[in-house]
Amino acid sequence: MGHLARLLEEGGIATVVVAAQPFRRRLLAMSLPRLVLTPHPMGRVLGAPGDAARQRVVILAALELLQTATQGSTVLELPGTYAFR
Amino acid sequence: MIDSESFTDFKNSFSYGSRTDLNFKFLKALSEEEAAEFFQGLLWKMGDFLNNGDRTALIEHVRDWQTRAYSSQEPTWVYEDGPFTPLTKVLKQTHLALITSTGHYVAGDDPQPFGVAEMTQEEAIKRISEFTGSAPQLSLIPVDTPGEQLRVRHGGYDIRGAQADHNTVFPLDRLRELTDDGVIGTLQPTAYSFVGATAQTRLIKQSGPQWLALFKEREMEAALLIPV
Repeated sequence: MGHLARLLEEGGIATVVVAAQPFRRRLLAMSLPRLVLTPHPMGRVLGAPGDAARQRVVILAALELLQTATQGSTVLELPGTYAFR
Repeated sequence: MIDSESFTDFKNSFSYGSRTDLNFKFLKALSEEEAAEFFQGLLWKMGDFLNNGDRTALIEHVRDWQTRAYSSQEPTWVYEDGPFTPLTKVLKQTHLALITSTGHYVAGDDPQPFGVAEMTQEEAIKRISEFTGSAPQLSLIPVDTPGEQLRVRHGGYDIRGAQADHNTVFPLDRLRELTDDGVIGTLQPTAYSFVGATAQTRLIKQSGPQWLALFKEREMEAALLIPV
């Protein structure tokens, strides 16, 4: 997905990648334009199944970064926890 | 022959072996000592859980070891810097799209990898090296697709979270809500998904540029990208 982000940005499409923390090192190495890292386990990027509130918070943070980032390699490490509601 | 199995063979068997479990395939990347530390910590925290009912420590233990294992591997792709396209419009006037590498598709529109109809998740896991050696296939998914019509198959991660609630990795419902709430101006009518375990050079040189042309044709201005 990192490569697709780079291709889209080259093509004039603004991107934000949202990924789970375990992929931190390999995604940071790719100098992505905008990256949100969630403190969640693999395969549950936006939050636990059924946790709509958390999923929304993560997406809102990503959309905020989409708008506010002024240069590439802008990274947001999202706080919070993976929980069930 | 379980009685002659080494600890190394045991920990490695979770990664596309006799005990395949994609949440724990990272064990193969750990040394014997590290894997032992992981298991001991897991069991100890399970004991704590039996006493205090707090599962947070268990969850964080798994996540932290996933992170530690994947962070111990040298990244394959390293770039010192990269392209950057600023978002010039406000979000409320932007055409936003969802693109994921989660392996989603719509029922009745199976991408049929390698020509196989109705490939199971189990078969996708068994054929993971074929996926990573082949070009990716892009599935087009109308954003008004009802959840029960979504399907997911990906031999690289545990899809059970996505099956329990697609919004964990493919947040169609959340994006529709944010559009209804006026946060997002225009959600593109189609979302896109592919299996991220794919031949990266083919993605860079062939599929990616073709997809970009399609996205531009559809006036995509910004994209939310979710890898697994």
